[in-house]
Amino acid sequence: MTDKKIVKNVTNIIEGLGMNENPESIAILEDVGTNSKVDAIREMTSRALVKKNVHDSLKVVITNKGKGINDMSTVVAMSTINELLSLNDKSEAIKILEDTVNMHSDEEVRDNARSVKALMALS
Amino acid sequence: MANLSIPAIRERLFNTSKHENATQRNSSNPFAASSFKGNVLTADVFESSTKKDDQIDFTGKLKASALVGSISGIGEKFQNMINSVVSFGNRMKENVVNGWNKLNELGNIEISFTPAKEKAVSIYNSVKDSVTDLISSGVTSKSVAKMEDMTAARQLLTDNVAAWEAAI
Repeated sequence: MTDKKIVKNVTNIIEGLGMNENPESIAILEDVGTNSKVDAIREMTSRALVKKNVHDSLKVVITNKGKGINDMSTVVAMSTINELLSLNDKSEAIKILEDTVNMHSDEEVRDNARSVKALMALS
Repeated sequence: MANLSIPAIRERLFNTSKHENATQRNSSNPFAASSFKGNVLTADVFESSTKKDDQIDFTGKLKASALVGSISGIGEKFQNMINSVVSFGNRMKENVVNGWNKLNELGNIEISFTPAKEKAVSIYNSVKDSVTDLISSGVTSKSVAKMEDMTAARQLLTDNVAAWEAAI
C-alpha cells in the first residue's frame, strides 16, 4: 500500500511542472516521469505534457516509442489519447502527428500516430 | 312493678309501635323521634323547652374548653405537618444512604469511558495527520509551478518517484 502522502506529493509535483513555463520542466517530466516503472506516474506525466500543448511536450508523448500514445500500458496510452482529444487547440498536436506518420522510422509509432490523427480529425 | 323479663324488654325495645300510645310522654327528650321513642329514658334529663329561647351562655369553663380544644386541634395539625416533613426527610435520607451504599458495593468496578475516549483519540489523530500533511509536506502544485530552481524541482520529483517505486 503506497503512502498517501507520497502519492499526493508526486501528483502535486507533476501538476506543478505541467503548469511551470520553464522549458526545463518538460525535460524533467520526460526524464523522470515517463521513465517510471509505475503506470500511474507515467499516466500523470503524459497528461501533464499534453496539457502544456507546446511542441516539445507533445513531441515527447507522440513520437517516442514506449511513451505517451505508444506506451506499453493500454491505460497510459488511452489516457494520453483522451487528453489529446480534449485539447481546445489541436493544431500543434495534429501537425506533430502528421510529421510522425510521414517521417518516423518505427512502423508501430507511425501506425499509432495515424490512428490518433484519425480520431482527432473526427473529434 | 314492671315486667323485666327478657322477652318483655325486647318487645318494648324493638316493637315500639305497640306501646307507643300507651307510654306516658312527659319528657322533652329529643331522641323521642328515634326508634326508642323515649321509652328507654323516661326521666327528663334535658332542659325544659321553656329555656330554649334563652341565649346560650358560652362562657366560663365551656368556652375555655372549646378554645383549648381548638388550639390543641391546630397544634395537632401542625404536629401532623411536621411529622410529614420529618418522615419525608427521613425517607430521603434513607434513599441517599442506600444509594451511597450501593455505590460502595460496586467496590472495584471501574467506571470508565473507554469507547468514547478511543473515539476521541481516533478523531484527534486523523485531524492531526491531516493538519500535519498540510503543514509538513509543503509540496503543492502551485508552489512547484512557480519554482525557478529546476534542479531542485528535478530532485524533488526524483525523490518522490523513487519513494513511490520503493513502496511497490
